[in-house]
Amino acid sequence: MLHKIVDIFTSLKLTIVCLAAAMALIFAGTLAQVHLGIHEAQERYFQSMFVWWPPDSSGFQIPIFPGGHLIGAVLLVNLIAAHMKRFRWSWRKLGIHLTHAGLIIMLAGGLFTDLFAVESHMQLAGGDTRNYSEDMRQTELAVIDTSGDDLDQVTAIPESALRHNRIIDHWSLPFRISVRNFYQNSRLKMLSQAGEGARPIANQGPGAMIAVEPAAAATGTDERDVPSAAVEILPKEGGSLGTWLVSDALGAPQTFTCGGRTWMITLRPMRHYKPFSVTLQKFTHEKYPGTEIPKDFSSKVTLIDPERSVNRDVLIYMNHPLRYRGETFYQAGFQKDDSATILQVVHNPSFIAPYVACVIVAAGLLVQFGFHLVGFSRRRRAIA
Amino acid sequence: MRINHSFILTLFAALLVSCEKNSEIKVYRVSKAPLEQSGPQQQEMMPTNTAAPRMPGGLAPAVQTAVTTPPNWEPQPLSQMRQASFLVKGDNGAVADVSFVSLGSAAGNVLENVNRWLGQLGQPPITEQKLAEISQRLHTSLGDMTIVDLAGLPNNADPARDGRIVAAMMTTPDATLFFKMRGNADLTEAQKGDFLKWVAAVCDAQTQTGSSQTAAAPQPQTTGDVPPIKWTTPEGWAEVPPSSMRYASFSVPAEEGGKIDISVVTFPGDGGSDADNINRWRGQMGLAPVDANAVTSGVASLQTGDTTFSTTDIAGNKTRTIAAWTRRDGRVWFFKATGPAAAVEKEKPKFVKFIESVRF
Repeated sequence: MLHKIVDIFTSLKLTIVCLAAAMALIFAGTLAQVHLGIHEAQERYFQSMFVWWPPDSSGFQIPIFPGGHLIGAVLLVNLIAAHMKRFRWSWRKLGIHLTHAGLIIMLAGGLFTDLFAVESHMQLAGGDTRNYSEDMRQTELAVIDTSGDDLDQVTAIPESALRHNRIIDHWSLPFRISVRNFYQNSRLKMLSQAGEGARPIANQGPGAMIAVEPAAAATGTDERDVPSAAVEILPKEGGSLGTWLVSDALGAPQTFTCGGRTWMITLRPMRHYKPFSVTLQKFTHEKYPGTEIPKDFSSKVTLIDPERSVNRDVLIYMNHPLRYRGETFYQAGFQKDDSATILQVVHNPSFIAPYVACVIVAAGLLVQFGFHLVGFSRRRRAIA
Repeated sequence: MRINHSFILTLFAALLVSCEKNSEIKVYRVSKAPLEQSGPQQQEMMPTNTAAPRMPGGLAPAVQTAVTTPPNWEPQPLSQMRQASFLVKGDNGAVADVSFVSLGSAAGNVLENVNRWLGQLGQPPITEQKLAEISQRLHTSLGDMTIVDLAGLPNNADPARDGRIVAAMMTTPDATLFFKMRGNADLTEAQKGDFLKWVAAVCDAQTQTGSSQTAAAPQPQTTGDVPPIKWTTPEGWAEVPPSSMRYASFSVPAEEGGKIDISVVTFPGDGGSDADNINRWRGQMGLAPVDANAVTSGVASLQTGDTTFSTTDIAGNKTRTIAAWTRRDGRVWFFKATGPAAAVEKEKPKFVKFIESVRF
């Protein structure tokens, strides 16, 4: 039995099946981007173990095809297992070993990137300072205890918990949060401007005067969902403080008091805090004369890291990112009126893997073909 | 041996792919954000949650050593926010925490902060009127400080460490200064005199050492580099002493009770976007923010002489705000009237004439 399993995992047929499945998955995933948008399609097809059907149901679903994670993982295991089973050390096979090792690093690096890399954005107007970046594709419900003297304690509840957990009970909060409604994308209207019969979904704060209309999920690369939710605050000792509307479209956080402490609650893009801050000194946007085509855009920022006593100016522009403490800041874009710069912030612990893999594969191929070349020339000389 | 390796690798890969990113509730602490989200001076203040080593208006390092503190005040390590920190120990394990924090100038008004402190003590918020009754003034070389003495014990709090807050607060053009002592009620009462002396001494030392940012007394912005402007005060408007943030203030009594508060405020720079300012005013009236399109449609121009003002009229449930603003010579000028809706409606023609009379 065990041998059969080993035979399957080390077989070349499995490699072919995986590669064929990957091709089919890429084809289907590419077509799905038309309706789902690139990010949703990536999540459903490539960053998952299985492709599920029906796709939008929150109830019973069945897997209909292996997802990118499963295919990649099986391919990785297949490559490693096959190599180990057939591994016989000899100098003549050094090139093949190196090439395989490079491929394994590349596959593993891809998997690690997919699992552990975090992409976010930092938007800065002139003079702005930030010590956090925001993931515009992920939403969090931030519940902030403001009673501390110097520090606010933030309990950040991710969107996935809001979707699935109808009641959120966490040790850091003296109350439970009951998620009454959650809209991935929505439009907010004042009740006076909404149609007849419109009802608020909240009874506290400004939300009591606002109607929420569900909207189709944004699919364009330059579109964003406006998530909204109605959350009821239930003190752990019993009772209810009321229901608040939280939405990315509402500007300021809302406050309430519970357990003798003042709390702020807000639905916002997921934040990633840094131990350093970035201040935008100047944003430059040059265009080709007589056109609106960007010629060059760059951001001069000041990096301040109190822990490491760093305080220096950095110019970020195309192909010249700022790399600092495992984060890479790329010049990604700007607001339409040049009022702010947008930096893409990438944290990717395995960013070096593709470079290392390419070097190793190239070295392996060189060695392999080198051996053949030397052998060929020797034989030729012997014949001559 | 090879078989085992294969299984371990399979298991490892399966574990890796079963991880789901961003699915856990995270708890972390960040530097306290100023209560007011987007004040007109936001461009000049450190933004919220910044990890910058020193806040504007920070205590000059020399001041720390120049001020003598009571012997039973033990210096504590300073945090990013705290520019002075002491622990005061009393009898039977009683302690009090003394701190000096300097935030940006838009770090909320006195009432907001007092209500925040009351919240820390488990007490309900108070009104502006009640605040006027309980607050006192402390004259320092930097200007008048607002002093409050608040009592209350939150649920499950340790009475040896909590129960009372004595705080002094002042806003300068560059910073909002908070001096605070919180701890055991009896110990805080006993230390109150020393605390107020220390507050005054810090302010004096601050002035003497010429700290660039807090040395400026919070005088009305009619002095210094603020250019004088002229206007004709409408009949019935009573001029009231401006606060540190205001260039001028007027008050008009409303027939149905209450009053209309009219303010003239100026800041260097552009004072933030119209959307930020209008949504801040809406927030002050308990209204939901509106998007940029709604802001644009709610703003009208008013041409007076050589000046073009932007104006808006925001109606709340019971209150109403009418405002006009203009940007010139690197400064922004805000003229705003807020009060009961009917009274503001009645005063609107006078407010328009007031704006038309403004000469720069």
